[in-house]
Amino acid sequence: MSEAAFSTQPSRAGRRVRRLILVVFLVAVAVVLVLPLTLTQPAADANLDPETLGIDFAINKSIVRTETTIAMFVALAAAWNLIGGLTGYAAFGNVAFFGLGAYTVGFLTDKQHLSFALALPLAPVGAAAFAGLIGLPLLRLRGHYFAIATLGTGIAVGEVIKNIDAFGGGTGLFPPILRHADALFFYLMAANAGLAVLVTWLVLRSRFGYGLIAIRENEEAASVLGVNTTAYKVGAFALAAALTGLAGGIFAQWSSFIDQESVFPVQYNVQMILMAILGGAGTLFGPVAGAIALEWLILALAGGGTSSVYAQIGLGVLLAVTVIFVPRGVVDFFGGSSRLSLGYFRRSLRETSV
Amino acid sequence: MLELAGVTKRFGGVAALSDLSLQVPEGEILGLIGPNGAGKTTLLNCISGVNRPDAGSITFQGRPIDGLPPHQIARLGIGRTFQVVKPFASMTVRENAAVGGLFGSAQAHLAPKAAFAWADEVLETVGLAPKAGLTVGSLTIPDRKRLEVARALATKPRLLLLDEVMAGLNPVEVDEALEVVRKVHAGGITIVLIEHVMRVVVGVCDRVIVLHMGQRLAEGTPDEVLQDRRVIEAYLGEKYAARRHA
Repeated sequence: MSEAAFSTQPSRAGRRVRRLILVVFLVAVAVVLVLPLTLTQPAADANLDPETLGIDFAINKSIVRTETTIAMFVALAAAWNLIGGLTGYAAFGNVAFFGLGAYTVGFLTDKQHLSFALALPLAPVGAAAFAGLIGLPLLRLRGHYFAIATLGTGIAVGEVIKNIDAFGGGTGLFPPILRHADALFFYLMAANAGLAVLVTWLVLRSRFGYGLIAIRENEEAASVLGVNTTAYKVGAFALAAALTGLAGGIFAQWSSFIDQESVFPVQYNVQMILMAILGGAGTLFGPVAGAIALEWLILALAGGGTSSVYAQIGLGVLLAVTVIFVPRGVVDFFGGSSRLSLGYFRRSLRETSV
Repeated sequence: MLELAGVTKRFGGVAALSDLSLQVPEGEILGLIGPNGAGKTTLLNCISGVNRPDAGSITFQGRPIDGLPPHQIARLGIGRTFQVVKPFASMTVRENAAVGGLFGSAQAHLAPKAAFAWADEVLETVGLAPKAGLTVGSLTIPDRKRLEVARALATKPRLLLLDEVMAGLNPVEVDEALEVVRKVHAGGITIVLIEHVMRVVVGVCDRVIVLHMGQRLAEGTPDEVLQDRRVIEAYLGEKYAARRHA
């Protein structure tokens, strides 16, 4: 890693470019945040029945839907980053927390007739408690074993819940529909994503964060330096679970129907990990960038037809190339010491190949 | 300060330590020498909680510590280095040392800002201050050994366990490292060190224990031990003895 030996002071031009990127980013964030308000408010004189609101309104709703989905994946990827990126434990079953959060809200609103506002705070609590429970035995495992154990847990939780009649069994749960609340769900998801980033920022500056990174880099060394590795790992796992469960809880009310298939999708496990790694695992904004880029691509390619098949093959190739040549994620270019150059890719290739 | 009584540690059928007892009084520099596989590192592992002894007891400042997890032992004031260095590779030298100050003994456990200031002091002590901003990947082997010591020192230990921190250093570097050990000791820290470099053992140790097959083969001042027939046969070799007397 000889690049560290060179000056890391960005040039004046570099600073200007970075400032420009920041401004563009902030403007984009502002537009994305305001859009749902303007798009989902039917004109005052319009008939409030969505059926007759017309095609424009339907398109607008789908834009907000896309934004909400992307915000949800930002939250999932940023949450995974706490355990997978910072702590270095490749959790492959975080969808269990998503599903538990969703079922908490689904059960409380549908069967217990609690309001959404009262049910939602219990989603992260339930997911975190479950993470603490399974974390104690599972976080004793390392590497592949931990990945497989969490993957199995994720699948098992969904299967168990599907077979409990109180949770709707095979038919699922139906939280009462909230009408004209598209903007609300977007803002809830965006707040969850923002919360995940804020939590990561706080963790990265704290004793807790240094402990997690020390565990990732060398767990034995961390423990003899005084890091309570068990407590820290379980803590990171529970924190990730809480943020993931919150997303699940919002999702349940948003979709107003949940069953095992819709809230325990195994592919979410892979997606949130890919997003975090492509963007830059262990970094603050990596998972955000990765989630926005990848989920946008996935949604854009979901159209169907022959061209979308080719596009999906292209996506696969892109993923493989990125993992090989940009192993530390795309935000690495904005980190200060690395610059987009042939040398960077050569070094990366050396790092990622045997 | 530290007392081991009847400590046994087996790996499969092999006893790495068998019924070993020893004491380390406060303020001493104790050297542990012996052939490879004698159980020296296992002994440090048992003291620091990395390994759990199968039998026997270990007490530190009057408190039994065998069976405690490593972080609690670190909290009580025992710091250690690893023979095969275990740096936090993605962190800078300064951050590595700061982790010791952020956690470590009850005297350490500093807030981030104070931990970084303390890390700078410790890096100054071991001579790594000019390289504080580098990542570990760009450090030479001797510097990585220094970092290992710095990180352990940053925990503000009462007892420091050093596992072959001078192996692979050239004579000038050994002298520098000896200076660091003396400085640390002068700061009131009791030291147990494993060494194969006899110049180090003679240079700083008050007392030496020779381990052989998990048991104590000999014990005494460095001079006594290095002239012991059994130690020459089991470890040092006739050539060393001849050279010493020449």
